[in-house]
Amino acid sequence: MMRERAALDVSHLPAHAYGSREPLWWGNLLLLVIEGTMFALALATYFYLRKNFAHWPPPPTPYPELLLPTINLIVILVSLAPAIRVHVLAIREGSQFQIQLALLAEIAFIIAVLTMRFFEFRDLHCYWDTHAYGSITWTLLGLHLLHLVASVCETALLFVWALTHRLDKKHRLDLSLLAIYWYFVVASWVIIYAVVFLGPRLM
Amino acid sequence: MSVETEDIVTTARRRVTTDEARDRESLEKTWKSPPGLWGWLTTTNHKAIARRYIVTAFIFFLLGGVEAALIRIQLSRPENHFLNPDLYNQVFSMHGTTMMFLFAVPIMEALGLYFVPLMVGTRNVAFPRLNALGYYAYLSGGVMIYVAFFLNIGVDTGWFSYVPLSGPDYSPGKRVDFWAQMITFTEIAALVGAVEIITTAFKMRAPGMSLNRVPLFVWAMVITAFMIIFAMPAVMLSSSMLASDRLISTQFFNPAEGGDALLWQHLFWFFGHPEVYIIFIPATGLVSTLISTFSRREAFGYVALILSLVATGFIGFGLWVHHMFATDVPQLGQSFFTGASVMIAVPSGVQIFCWLATLWAGKLQLRTPMMFILGFIVVFVMGGLTGVMLAAVPLDLQVHDTFFVVAHFHYVLIGGAVFPLFGALHYWMPKWTGRMMSERLGHWTFWLMFIGFNLTFFPMHILGLHGMPRRVYTYLDSLGWGRMNLLATVGAMIIGVSVLLFIINFLQSRRTGIIAGNNPWNAATLEWATSSPPPPYNFVYPPTVRTRSPLWDEGEDAPVVTGLATECREVLVTNMLDAEPDHRYELPGASVWPLALGFGVAVTFIVVIFTPWGIDIGAVLCLIALVGWFWSSIEKKKNLLVEPDREPLEDEL
Repeated sequence: MMRERAALDVSHLPAHAYGSREPLWWGNLLLLVIEGTMFALALATYFYLRKNFAHWPPPPTPYPELLLPTINLIVILVSLAPAIRVHVLAIREGSQFQIQLALLAEIAFIIAVLTMRFFEFRDLHCYWDTHAYGSITWTLLGLHLLHLVASVCETALLFVWALTHRLDKKHRLDLSLLAIYWYFVVASWVIIYAVVFLGPRLM
Repeated sequence: MSVETEDIVTTARRRVTTDEARDRESLEKTWKSPPGLWGWLTTTNHKAIARRYIVTAFIFFLLGGVEAALIRIQLSRPENHFLNPDLYNQVFSMHGTTMMFLFAVPIMEALGLYFVPLMVGTRNVAFPRLNALGYYAYLSGGVMIYVAFFLNIGVDTGWFSYVPLSGPDYSPGKRVDFWAQMITFTEIAALVGAVEIITTAFKMRAPGMSLNRVPLFVWAMVITAFMIIFAMPAVMLSSSMLASDRLISTQFFNPAEGGDALLWQHLFWFFGHPEVYIIFIPATGLVSTLISTFSRREAFGYVALILSLVATGFIGFGLWVHHMFATDVPQLGQSFFTGASVMIAVPSGVQIFCWLATLWAGKLQLRTPMMFILGFIVVFVMGGLTGVMLAAVPLDLQVHDTFFVVAHFHYVLIGGAVFPLFGALHYWMPKWTGRMMSERLGHWTFWLMFIGFNLTFFPMHILGLHGMPRRVYTYLDSLGWGRMNLLATVGAMIIGVSVLLFIINFLQSRRTGIIAGNNPWNAATLEWATSSPPPPYNFVYPPTVRTRSPLWDEGEDAPVVTGLATECREVLVTNMLDAEPDHRYELPGASVWPLALGFGVAVTFIVVIFTPWGIDIGAVLCLIALVGWFWSSIEKKKNLLVEPDREPLEDEL
């Protein structure tokens, strides 16, 4: 049945977009808000528990080590470089080969960070069940570790996709969101590092 | 309203020739679910998923109601032995847990998941597969805790499981662990729903639906969704801390090792107070919608209503210590929370007056949904008044842990949420089933519920003032509480009858109700612009709007959106402020991966109660599901359409 009617024709509009124009960007952002709230509450818990102690960390637990965690902090900050490169190449329709290289570099960085994270737990000089200080510091490191694992899995998955398919706009959007997620992982770590490793010496 | 918006919809006056029959046929093919059980398990249709949520949540409502009846039978006379103390503890804990986590929040979110896409004029939610996952998480959590309950390992430490009672020292066994993990499941579902609602409402609205034309129910759901996002992490964190204290000996709540019992209360109530507004604010959206339809006019004070909701949302995060007045938090701090708890009555009051003004200036139609709204006003205002009373520390200290508090929160929750909900169920049933419900049975349902409710809960104010404590399985005869308790039990049975009548009404009207048509109530919002029930794609041509009440203000020839592909599941993405068309977006079809990930998540969180290997096994299953989910995201339209390319703008990073 043919009918004449008033209409707004949208067939000329593009089928993809990047950044805040795209629903998936909003989904990613809201996820980061949720995770950020979780971290904020865990940090609040850290300071809440602190008030129960005259000495922090409670003796005989010594201050957490600084050397390895600081090296790891530098590594994680430098890992922003390949992430930014992936982000910019993805949305500026850059070379797929360059993107593959940057993703590979990113994976290498995250694996390095993960390895050092393993030793950072040891550098706390206590266990999660030793006392409340141990419980909250292991929780902060552990929650962040979950994000590191998620990031390396996601980056590896997109890397394999980029090796086996020609990147279309949809997957370039995915790459940009992966980068944004990594920025969040790095930013949250800067704060957690400061609180857990520098904090006791300053308080 | 900006000039650009005016221009968009004015230029829409261009005349176009559409072949509706051909487009409808193409859409039917593209949007239909696979047949049979497989189709049921893999659907990503927001209406199917929302219906599932509503039916499941209603079943939990009935189970919670049975638990309430058991409580009332036990308390109907002094020194009763219908339930032994242990069973009583499980029953009241399951009652609260069921009603708060498994009924109230899910059903309100589900109304949002069903109606937000329709009311904003789009075809589905922004992330259809994620939506399906949310339901599977919810179902897993609810089934898990009920299986535990039927095996006599139900939670018995109250719906908020205070430490140290719920900790490893005083609650050995697995009861509290099931409760803690149920929280994780239901919070995942709630967060998923919140992300869907916000993204859909912000990015997928009909052209011309600028923010100041968005329906009040959609605003209420968006504000609720933001509250969910900021509140739920607190309970996920605290329940995980409780589970880890119990399972791997962390010391979060153990004072001997520097932990803190009050930490639990702070984290729980930081979630718990916003939780009640998460339940109430959608109900205010329902009230605005129903009052508008049954007064035959737009709700009075659109901006005041929205700002009140925003204020309630903000202030609601500053109230939580009023649940802790009987602890040793400093008095100065307590005063702050008294102030905030009293202050929150102001925006609620503003809303009540806006609604009263709407009723006053409108032409009242006393159909069943409106009866529930009038009941809401009476009951909720009473509950709000006792709330202001409880906000004062001296009074709270006297009635803390007594039935006065039970009376208060049932008045605000049943009055403030359940009454509007039943109004909404009668209102939207024709849209879901295509048939009207019986007005006669509807009125009987209302009056029995109203009378039964007041008979049950009003005496509890007095019982509380006379000192009857909560959560104790019986009481002595010499205390003289027997008569009022019996009255309350009779009232509870009357509520039961009213719910039964509702179910009979529902079943009967499905077979013999009057056919509803598109818009039986002659209402204003866009869900009534399509068939009852709506087709899977919601609208053949998505609408455009120029006012807040599109169906009242537009004639037959309202401009529609054309040019969206019908061979793949394409929707229109618009910009946030003025809903100008931005680009086209392809949604996925039916998928098995949400079910797979739901299974993986269920295995992780249930097995970990018994052994840490749950993490390892579950992680592998989840990883497989996530890889499958990602790998199957292929766009159909790559092969169909050519799109113009351009450089991204600076602000798209």
